Amino acid sequence: MSRILLMGNPNVGKSIFFTELTGIHAISSNYAGSTVSFMEGSFTVGGKEYTLIDVPGTYSLTPSSEAEAVATSFMESGAQAIICVLDASNLERNLCLGLELQQYNIPLVYALNLLDVADRHGITINTKLLEQELDAPVVPTVAAKRQGLDELITKLEMVLNTPKTDCIHPTEAKPETNQEIEHISCGNCSLCRFNSQKEPVDAWVKAKEIVRRVSNKNDIRLSFMDRLGEAMMKPMPGIPIAFLVMAIAIGVVIGGGRGLRALFFLPLVNGVIVPFFRNLFTALLPEGMFLNILVGEFGIFVISFEWILALIFPYVLLFYIVFTFLEDTGFLPRISVLFDNIMRKLGVQGGSLIHMLMGYGCAVPAIIGSRAATSRKERIVISAAICFAVPCISQSGALIVLLAGYAWWMLPAMILFSLLLFVAVTLIAGKLVKGTIDPLVIEIPNLLIPNPKSFVRKLITRMKHFLKDAEVPMMIAIIIAALLSESGLLNIIAVYAQPLVTYWLGLPAEAVIALILGIVRREMSVAPLLVLDLTALQAFVGGVVSLLYLPCLSVFAILAKEFKIKIALTITLSTIVMALFVGGLINRIGQLFIA
Amino acid sequence: MLNKQENLNNLYEGKVKGTFQVTSIPNIRLLENMGLRAGTQVTIQNRYSLGGPVLLRIEEAYSIALGKDIAKQISIREII
Repeated sequence: MSRILLMGNPNVGKSIFFTELTGIHAISSNYAGSTVSFMEGSFTVGGKEYTLIDVPGTYSLTPSSEAEAVATSFMESGAQAIICVLDASNLERNLCLGLELQQYNIPLVYALNLLDVADRHGITINTKLLEQELDAPVVPTVAAKRQGLDELITKLEMVLNTPKTDCIHPTEAKPETNQEIEHISCGNCSLCRFNSQKEPVDAWVKAKEIVRRVSNKNDIRLSFMDRLGEAMMKPMPGIPIAFLVMAIAIGVVIGGGRGLRALFFLPLVNGVIVPFFRNLFTALLPEGMFLNILVGEFGIFVISFEWILALIFPYVLLFYIVFTFLEDTGFLPRISVLFDNIMRKLGVQGGSLIHMLMGYGCAVPAIIGSRAATSRKERIVISAAICFAVPCISQSGALIVLLAGYAWWMLPAMILFSLLLFVAVTLIAGKLVKGTIDPLVIEIPNLLIPNPKSFVRKLITRMKHFLKDAEVPMMIAIIIAALLSESGLLNIIAVYAQPLVTYWLGLPAEAVIALILGIVRREMSVAPLLVLDLTALQAFVGGVVSLLYLPCLSVFAILAKEFKIKIALTITLSTIVMALFVGGLINRIGQLFIA
Repeated sequence: MLNKQENLNNLYEGKVKGTFQVTSIPNIRLLENMGLRAGTQVTIQNRYSLGGPVLLRIEEAYSIALGKDIAKQISIREII
């Protein structure tokens, strides 16, 4: 085993180290038996290859969350060395972890990072003295600017090549010198473990003492980003800034997505890819149902490109660009503080907002991510709100394309509707689910301009995850769509669905396919509507039904896995009933206005 | 150097911009891990209206926000 652990408190720039040390190729894995994911990549130290593991950020080895428990498990399963990243602007708390890590007797190198921030905060640290106090190499770094990384590798090579201190046990020592020989801890024998348990070091006391000795505080010179970060924490101008940022974010995703679709993906699909497959299969196969299933109007080789590549991909890409950017700047914890009072009135807390925003990307990671919530009630409320009222970006993309074709006000109306729905569902779920919700406890990181490399890496990982999770259900939905439409089976089903689809919802009978496909994936409850030549009211009703309709098979699976099957079924059934009921209601009300 | 006034109070009701010493915290591991324990020096930077949280600067080094219901359970003593 030749692995090296990269550890540290949350928000110390750990992932920048990881990206700079391992390059762009890395894999994200889940820790066995948990939903906590970590990154691993390979890098070379002194001509030897090692696996570097980006351990989830942790405050302490006495865990207070699942992610921290995983960090502790990594320590216990051993490593060749640890790189411990310390935030120089917040040395005391960082040193607590730094000192706790020493109990394991794994070779350590400390990276004293964020020295630029510390400098602005008027903090100077005597690195040499800190090195003596910690009895391990301390390398000053500013990882975002690549400063100190070469020295870090040199020091890492040094500790890797230093032979481990032999563990001299009193019983092994010569009898005549027995009394003088101390038991030098190796960390691996039972005696060592026993000793380390017996004498718990109070890391806090020690850390305070070390910081007092090695650091000095002078004048503070705040940068523009520091001031902006502080200003954003005040309701004025913080709340207007937050709304402005959200408006820009939505604008970039919707506007940019439409632009990418119209200028690049649609011409590519309609002009190049689909004609290619049409010509290919028409030349190879005789006319008939089989050919139509492949390349007919709803053929597999037609809709898979039209729906996946041209319809949803541009929006998914832009959403993750914007979300990852906002996440890396430190914007999300700030809005969770600013809006905690409103979220509290809704029965949850500000921190839930981060998971819910993530749900606008995809419900699955958002529901998994809600594990960070400390109470079961909060998790269920978050999950219910996401399932009912938060459209995933694939679905949003399809809805944008559907609604923008009619009138400018339809998209804002749908957004308003989904927000009202969000408030209603959160309130109702908060009343129905028993239990309590723990108050907000969150650290506010410095406001940062994201590091380009880490940003790209995170984006690539997210897009890969999205494609991996979505490809199978998407293909299932597409094959069902092609088989039903091109075989004529759809027309038979449509007859039976007429009372519901045509009479109650006011949609063309063929729209029943949207309800069938919507079971598999959310955007598939919108995509078939695009070719149906609907009126504005029909499009809006279709959009509302799709928004409320049950949140795809993957979400059902994750609900059943994370909670009880009863909760998964309750959420799923109520979404279907609500979708059909509200959709029909809007149709009726709309008819009155038109008539 | 510091003239400590015996002013036992809870963190939620502390004066904004005031600097305090934590005298007791509820037994919640996360708070302790985040660096909030008896003896910690905190400055209240902001208190948000309508039952919002308090924003704290811990030991002049980093910021933490605490919801109203948890801040109320933390006792503080003013440092003048």
